[in-house]
Amino acid sequence: MRAWFAARNWTPFDFQREVWDAYRAGESGLIHAATGTGKTYAAWMAPILEWMEEHPEKIGKRTAAPPLRVLWITPLRALAADTEASLRAPLRELGVPWTLERRTGDTSSTVRNRQRERLPTALVTTPESVSLLLSRPDARELLGGLRMVVVDEWHELMGGKRGVQTELALARLRRWNPDLRTWGLSATLGNLDTALAALLGGRAGRLVRGAGPKPIRVDAVLPESMERFPWAGHLGLKLLPQVVAAIEEGRSALVFTNTRSQAEIWYQAILDAHPGWAGEIALHHGSLDRKVRDWVEDGLRQGGLRCVVCTSSLDLGVDFAPVDRVLQIGSPKGIARLAQRAGRSGHQPGAESRVTCVPTHAFELIEVAAARTALESGRIEPRAPRRKPLDVLAQHLVTVALGGGFRSAGLLDEVRSTWAYHDLTDAEWDWVLDFVTRGGPALRAYPEYRRVAEKDGLHVVPDAAVARRHRMSIGTITSDAEVQVQYKGGARLGTVEESFVARLRPGDRFVLAGRLLELDSVRDMTAWVRKAKGKSGAIPRWMGGRMPLSTELGAAVRDRLEEARRGVFDSPEMDAVRPILELQARWSEIPEAGDLLIERLRSREGHHLFLYPFEGRLVHEGLAALFAWRISRLRPITFTFAVNDYGIELLSPDPAPLDEALAAGLLSPAGLVDDIPASLNAVEMAKRRFREIARVAGLLFQGFPGSRKPARHLQASSGLFYEVFAQYDPDNLLLRQAHREVLEQQLESSRLGRALARLAESRVRIVGVARPSPLAFPLMVDRMREKLSSEKLADRVRRMQAQLEKAALTPRPPLPSPGEGEKETRRRRKA
Amino acid sequence: MDLRIDLAGEAVALLPERALLWERTGTLVVADVHLGKAAAFRAAAIPMPGGTTSEALRRLSAALERTCARRLLLLGDFFHARSGRASRTLAAIAAWRDRHAGLEILLVRGNHDRGAGDPPDEWRFRCVDEPHLEPPFAFRHHPGEEDGGYVLAGHLHPVVPLAGAGRQSETLPAFLFGERQALLPAFGGFTGGARVRPRAGDRVYVLAGDEVVAIEVG
Repeated sequence: MRAWFAARNWTPFDFQREVWDAYRAGESGLIHAATGTGKTYAAWMAPILEWMEEHPEKIGKRTAAPPLRVLWITPLRALAADTEASLRAPLRELGVPWTLERRTGDTSSTVRNRQRERLPTALVTTPESVSLLLSRPDARELLGGLRMVVVDEWHELMGGKRGVQTELALARLRRWNPDLRTWGLSATLGNLDTALAALLGGRAGRLVRGAGPKPIRVDAVLPESMERFPWAGHLGLKLLPQVVAAIEEGRSALVFTNTRSQAEIWYQAILDAHPGWAGEIALHHGSLDRKVRDWVEDGLRQGGLRCVVCTSSLDLGVDFAPVDRVLQIGSPKGIARLAQRAGRSGHQPGAESRVTCVPTHAFELIEVAAARTALESGRIEPRAPRRKPLDVLAQHLVTVALGGGFRSAGLLDEVRSTWAYHDLTDAEWDWVLDFVTRGGPALRAYPEYRRVAEKDGLHVVPDAAVARRHRMSIGTITSDAEVQVQYKGGARLGTVEESFVARLRPGDRFVLAGRLLELDSVRDMTAWVRKAKGKSGAIPRWMGGRMPLSTELGAAVRDRLEEARRGVFDSPEMDAVRPILELQARWSEIPEAGDLLIERLRSREGHHLFLYPFEGRLVHEGLAALFAWRISRLRPITFTFAVNDYGIELLSPDPAPLDEALAAGLLSPAGLVDDIPASLNAVEMAKRRFREIARVAGLLFQGFPGSRKPARHLQASSGLFYEVFAQYDPDNLLLRQAHREVLEQQLESSRLGRALARLAESRVRIVGVARPSPLAFPLMVDRMREKLSSEKLADRVRRMQAQLEKAALTPRPPLPSPGEGEKETRRRRKA
Repeated sequence: MDLRIDLAGEAVALLPERALLWERTGTLVVADVHLGKAAAFRAAAIPMPGGTTSEALRRLSAALERTCARRLLLLGDFFHARSGRASRTLAAIAAWRDRHAGLEILLVRGNHDRGAGDPPDEWRFRCVDEPHLEPPFAFRHHPGEEDGGYVLAGHLHPVVPLAGAGRQSETLPAFLFGERQALLPAFGGFTGGARVRPRAGDRVYVLAGDEVVAIEVG
């Protein structure tokens, strides 16, 4: 075999051989290495070599392809095509008569139908499509001959519910094929042992370290003058000339943005600044039509594009060799993410990976300096796998009930063999089982309710409509109802969220795929548009835009500030931001590591308290709710609060009794166990979290694509569900899950506790400021606000006002006309 | 606490139960009850907890008894969907009807009623299509103007966004009174709402817990 390789000039790396030997010995494991270092072939050649050893006589022959042996799971269906291409090459080279196909949400119905008859030898697919396969009545026959499952980009999947969905599928496949070998491919993580354990459900496995990463260089585009550089914001267009110059330097550049809206804006701005580049620059994000994205990816591969403005949609996947320049607009918010994006450049031999950050406001310069030091010292974020999400389990139970049915005890063992559910209690299992069969304790009295039915101990789905609806909604990624955008009588451009379209009227203009469009009409979940002339239009916003600052980067920022306070400015970025920090020191102060800085400010809006723990946005949300809650116990008061990665603003119409609150233990970790849930109940975080849970658990249903009439009478918002459950079924475990997810994922409660312990020991420095300090300013202008009140609703409402309809802008009859109504909005609150 | 206002020369009271009382005729007016909505969800295997129908009926009884209303006028969407006419739901409504046997009930049909069908005859509802004229009022389900009177309508489930000092905001179900027509809040608890911004000259009253609060517009 080795000789065969040598003849073809292939020299396997040591780590690849290690994987092949381990696979042959029946082992599973996790391969971690930077992208473009041969991870794919390390995994892929293992089952091929196995087959060649088993069937030497068939090599190079035209024989019938073997049945399904390898499942290759990839997180993004956009990656499936590239993966398929790179897997196909060695099959051809080696004369292995395997069939290789893709199956994702994009697969055509012709191919699907063929695959219904017979699956290929190797199938490239996504977690959702695997679940769909599991829901087929003949799932076991189809998947019973598997030798290997490869989970590509496991680091990307494992932190989310799709990771759990994958774990459950793996447990099922292992049960059918006890000798199944599972191999994960991962980028470098801070907790590889946990990643391995989650993949293998805690079984022993091998951790294989691949080729080391290329050296990474991090630098920043610096503003010429800090005087005019903004203190807040997220667009960063001030630095457009420098960005255009940087693009000009290279051959082919990727410009990463943090949100899709930002990508649309930057694409337009670069084109306006350099109209000669029309046709050479392109836009790539997850809401663009597949065809548009394919075109862009091909262009990148062939080196025909000077610049692509993109989002995380191009974070993963095979490399685009011609790319020699990567720019990052705004803070990357995490060290691993920055390294990943940097790694998309520098594929020429001997080249280094270089990423140039483009700060969108002054303080992001500190983040760049912090990210560089963190990267140099190898501080990469860990990713925590999810624990026991009952919504995913409920969905899986219906899937398995469809896929041949299940018996309770057997499936419980299987579920407990996963990492996510290894400590699932009997009570939790019974609850979920009851939930999918009878709808839970609250529905005992309603015999007409039936989703999964039990017959002689076997749980199945008897109703064809329920089955169809479940298959339609398999998937754990939250997405709002999406509306297709299409030219009248022409091509599809992509999708926008329904809520965005709902705010537009025919004739209104908006931007998508870098084009200015005019809305013609909305029909059948499609927004029909035509090209518009002119300069500007609304930019769609998509959910899930903002990434929080990671723990590691947050800590690194605190270190930089600590140095700045001591007068150490030892990088170009810190030098550049120096005038702003000196202003902070003059108007207020730069906190010492052992300080908690609190600024008080009186403005037209009311009384502001600014606190700066520098613990990252997620922890700040929890701290803000906790502080507001504790102060509001002292007297009736209403707070609205804003948070960012550095601090918290509490705003109230009346002055908050701060000194009294500090004396009463505002920062004390004592009583935290009771105070945190209480403060969470007082804000709406859990209600928002419930949105995703309700969808995954099958409560929300958005109608079948293409069906002309949406199931109107079955539509309700998740907020409404939350209220009805909270009122009539308060013990519902999905509600409790929402609370737990807020605590664990959103607020990182253990980190919250540690943060509070640190703050309790810190020296509180209260500074009255005459105007918002540079640190306070971004918080003050943030419009995303939570509310917490200990006043009576009616008393509070009495001092409020209703805003007038802006008649001049949106002409319409007095009071809304018929046909506009019956929109369920998420905003309604219980009276 | 009820809030009394003058409307087209008649005295009416706005009730925190989400109802309006036309005092002279002893008529309680409610819109969009949407009974059986949770049952319709359950029939489609979406697990809604029970209790929304009985809560609505309880609230309706409370408003009727407290005001000694002689007549109930429903501004449409009494039933949510045909699939929501589950036996349990129907039995609960029948029992409620027995409890208010002397009550005269008039239903101005709404779009949902057309899909769900009229209530059973033995409940003795008088069902009419919109508009139903009783000067000085015209009762409709869908908003719209009438020459025959000041319109009281439902359908929209109006909720009004409010703003206050310290960047407070709140969105609450509301009664809105314009020059020629009024919108009533949805009576049903499991209904959601559509955001409506008032126009200059509108009178707005929001439902805040057990109170009806007059809101300044501007």
